[in-house]
Amino acid sequence: MADRRSEPEMPQAKRLRTGDMDPASNPYLAHHYEDEGNGYGSRNGGRNGGSTQTGLSGFKRHQTTAAQADVAENGPLNPFNNNPLSPRYFDILKTRKDLPVHKQRQEFLNMFQQTQILVFVGETGSGKTTQIPQFVLFDDLPHFNGKLVACTQPRRVAAMSVAQRVANEMDVKLGEEVGYSIRFEDVTGPKTILKYMTDGMLLREAMHDHNLTRYSCIILDEAHERTLATDILMGLLKEVALRRPDLKIVIMSATLDAQKFQRYFNDAPLLAVPGRTHPVEIFYTPEPERDYVEAALRTVLQIHANEPEGDILLFLTGEEEIEDACRKITLEADEMTREADAGPLKVYPLYGTLPPHQQQKIFEPAPPPTRKGGPPGRKVVVGTNIAETSLTIDGIVYVVDPGFSKQKVYNPRIRVESLLVSPISKASAQQRAGRAGRTRPGKCFRLYTEAAFKKELIEQTHPEILRSNLANTVLELKKLGIDDLVHFDLMDPPAPETLMRALEELNYLACLDDDGDLTALGKLASEFPLDPALAVMLISSPEFYCSNEILSLTALLSVPQVFVRPASAKKRADEMKALFAHPDGDQLTMLNVYHAFKGADAQADSKKWCREHFLSLRALQSADNVRQQLKRIMEKSELDLISTDFNDKNYYTNIRRALVAGFFMQVAKKDSSGKTYKTVKDDQSVLLHPSTVLQVDSEWVLYNEFVLTTKNYVRTVTSIKPEWLLDIAPTYYDISTFKKGEIRTALERVNDKVKRKQQTKRPGR
Amino acid sequence: MPTQDPQTVPPDETEKEQKQEEEEEEEDYMSMIIPEQTLPKRKETYTQRLLRQQREREASQPKPKAERLLHEAAQRDTALSTSLLSSPNAQKNKGLAMMAKMGFKPGVALGSKDNPHARLEPVGISIKEDRGGIGLDAEKKRKFNDEVEREGKRVRAEEGDYRERVRREREVVRLEGQIGAAMRVAESMAGEKEEVEMGVVEVGKKRTISTKPLKSVNILWRGLIRQREEKERDRRMRYDLQQSLSRHVNYDNDDEDAEDKRALGRDVVQHTLVEDLEEEDPELDAFSELDPAERLEKLVVHLRQEHNYCFWCKFTYPNKEFEGCPGLTEEEHD
Repeated sequence: MADRRSEPEMPQAKRLRTGDMDPASNPYLAHHYEDEGNGYGSRNGGRNGGSTQTGLSGFKRHQTTAAQADVAENGPLNPFNNNPLSPRYFDILKTRKDLPVHKQRQEFLNMFQQTQILVFVGETGSGKTTQIPQFVLFDDLPHFNGKLVACTQPRRVAAMSVAQRVANEMDVKLGEEVGYSIRFEDVTGPKTILKYMTDGMLLREAMHDHNLTRYSCIILDEAHERTLATDILMGLLKEVALRRPDLKIVIMSATLDAQKFQRYFNDAPLLAVPGRTHPVEIFYTPEPERDYVEAALRTVLQIHANEPEGDILLFLTGEEEIEDACRKITLEADEMTREADAGPLKVYPLYGTLPPHQQQKIFEPAPPPTRKGGPPGRKVVVGTNIAETSLTIDGIVYVVDPGFSKQKVYNPRIRVESLLVSPISKASAQQRAGRAGRTRPGKCFRLYTEAAFKKELIEQTHPEILRSNLANTVLELKKLGIDDLVHFDLMDPPAPETLMRALEELNYLACLDDDGDLTALGKLASEFPLDPALAVMLISSPEFYCSNEILSLTALLSVPQVFVRPASAKKRADEMKALFAHPDGDQLTMLNVYHAFKGADAQADSKKWCREHFLSLRALQSADNVRQQLKRIMEKSELDLISTDFNDKNYYTNIRRALVAGFFMQVAKKDSSGKTYKTVKDDQSVLLHPSTVLQVDSEWVLYNEFVLTTKNYVRTVTSIKPEWLLDIAPTYYDISTFKKGEIRTALERVNDKVKRKQQTKRPGR
Repeated sequence: MPTQDPQTVPPDETEKEQKQEEEEEEEDYMSMIIPEQTLPKRKETYTQRLLRQQREREASQPKPKAERLLHEAAQRDTALSTSLLSSPNAQKNKGLAMMAKMGFKPGVALGSKDNPHARLEPVGISIKEDRGGIGLDAEKKRKFNDEVEREGKRVRAEEGDYRERVRREREVVRLEGQIGAAMRVAESMAGEKEEVEMGVVEVGKKRTISTKPLKSVNILWRGLIRQREEKERDRRMRYDLQQSLSRHVNYDNDDEDAEDKRALGRDVVQHTLVEDLEEEDPELDAFSELDPAERLEKLVVHLRQEHNYCFWCKFTYPNKEFEGCPGLTEEEHD
């Protein structure tokens, strides 16, 4: 269902826990924040108590002027911790004062002080992400009353790197005054006054602290990206703002359609700061392209051959496409260097699942000319739309935009959540073009006609909330104390059918009762940073005597694909995969892989072992990490970790039955034709994905995801028995609710068989 | 009327019942016969069985890939375009029931009621099947539409052409007919005039072949004379052919002497044709090249000038005044 393989950060990040906190910072206790005497407040008070004079001592909360702040920033002591400031601090300070936002510091402060909610528009390069939170610190003075300022980021990498940057700017150690909090990683401490975090993390905190009482100011950055978590947070903050008049909220967006945010927040005032950008010349193709990848490669090579110095950024849609393009560009460029005396060209891929150290490579400078005075070297970054807003690469002068990106889509009518290559929006295209003007005037080559730009592209990308299965979100909203989901004021409410499906699914999973209230299982499930189906499977696994195995499997299903199948060695990779294959399906095969990975042989040199077996070490390590986190939550929830004896004949059967407990809604039955399968209840024809190890003679299969391409595929499948469906999920498999047809007939036959068996058994007893 | 014994059933009803029973029996009988009728089926011949098996195999075999894909896509599209809220199972849907409890009304969007942009329908799904650039599909569609339009125009244009051509052809045929008529009139009038001038009246003599050399005939109707003479020549040649013994009419054998020729009937002079016919007549050719309307006009003008005859009125006027004649052209006589 959810393609959690390709974008692992986001879905999980939503439901994270802050990790282990000491009781003083327990958010449950933070409800009493007004009480000066509570541990949380007094500890902070002690730190900045009257005895110590700091650069901020004379400051009155919400009365700071830009001039005062400037003085405090000039030292000589750090205004926040009284440490002497380093020379590096002053170096950075100089560049900070050059940032466009700095000129409007007073204007910002005036507005910030006068209003509860402020919409701030700063184009890329204005310095808003690093500077605005600091401006807020000097005025909000959170440490004087034991609070924090939070700044959310849609991406984990951004939260980490910005926190590091701001820690440097403030001359403090990361994790002390400035910290970050992302999935499975909380780098904050008792001194922390500014916390960068993923929007999903803040949402998770809100689940335990509905009023977000720890914070005196919340800054939602990159709100224009409209992630699911940001949208929910905005809806939540709109309500919290009424309950907490003292809470300041800043909504930061990089695009000028901020009027929408203004309107949504009851006509909040808006402050716009121009970015530091150079003009970008835009070129269109005279005719539509037949093959956008081929056209993109051609354009990159043409730029390399004919345009003056400057790096190139090419936008493509996914990992495979990007790696393929990188290979082809390198080959062609090498030939150009050899034969046409072109400068050297270095190509870097950039996509979400790329290991961080490889992502860092994009910041390396372009290669020098091969000989002195020769044509200059150039670097090409081939990236997904991560390069669109969040990552800023200096030196980019040329942007090649084929106009596509891979976007998540969800449709409640066929219950498919999938990643599809789709045309970008006009807003996206402008954002992409803007990337060329960061260092000097640039050029953007759009691989489509101007008419197509005007006619074919939608104005704005649909926010994630309109493209997602909301089962997870509904569970979160319930946990956030929002009962009326129908009238919850979202900026872009989803279609009614989407909510209906989500509620229905949660009801079948027994997370919500018929009145729409959270059940005990639902409450427990919301503790896990997982899709409800996975969470329910994990929670019920002790009943099937295999919670250890299901825990491993849940972790494996939450990380990117563990199997590696390079284009150059497909056969060998398949042979290696066959070593782990279990005839009953892919989930069991993955489990075999994990067990082998944890074995002594593999652990001796896991890197080599993974390479030899065509497995992704990163994915497996990440699964290991996720498993640890989930295990901790299980222990806290007092869920037993048990295993069936491996030699028991029911070892694998138990696991398959436990899978049914979570995924009974993702089942397909073989067609009478014997070639295709049909999904239960939705009646969609599907094929087993070619990657499956499953033998084709399985009548009933359970699948992890439905992949939409030109063919419908189900991927990661396990064969199951229909008796289990009737036994484990009787409500969903209430035969009377099924349409007349093959599936209903088959279920009736199974039901009769089960009944006969029971009758024949009884007299025998 | 006598009161009826409640016990007795009216006779017609019993009859009916009996009939019904009979019918039922008959039906039963019929139904018993059906399996008998199917009996021969069991005794199908070997080839019949083979055929049947093949048919059954084909029926159970999976559909070809392309068809299956189409079917899949069609199924998907149907599912995607059907709202869950309007499905017959919607009333039983627990999700919808929960929403109803929260105050949801079908046809009303979620969220704040002040939000005019809230969606009622989920975002659609479109699957990209190739690497075509943005606008390529639209461009293809546009080109296709253009092609269709152009083709349509071409067909229409051709249709117009055809009609025009047919009309023109008909007009030419009509004009040629009139020219023929005018020529005949002109010829006979010229002949009459000549005879009157020469004072010879040969009543009843049918003109067959003019003795006059063709070139001396007025160019206006020379075509008519020539045509007539050609026709006459052909007729005679056919006649001669039928009369002669040899099929090879023109075959002159040098070995044949006069005797032979006589024997073969070849001494008769067959070539009584007007020698003129063999000659080239550039004057006539040039005249025939003229537009039929022009030739007709010349004839009409000639008849008026020479004979005071209006071709359109079909009347010989007493003088050059042409009193009562509306004019020179056909239109004027409409």
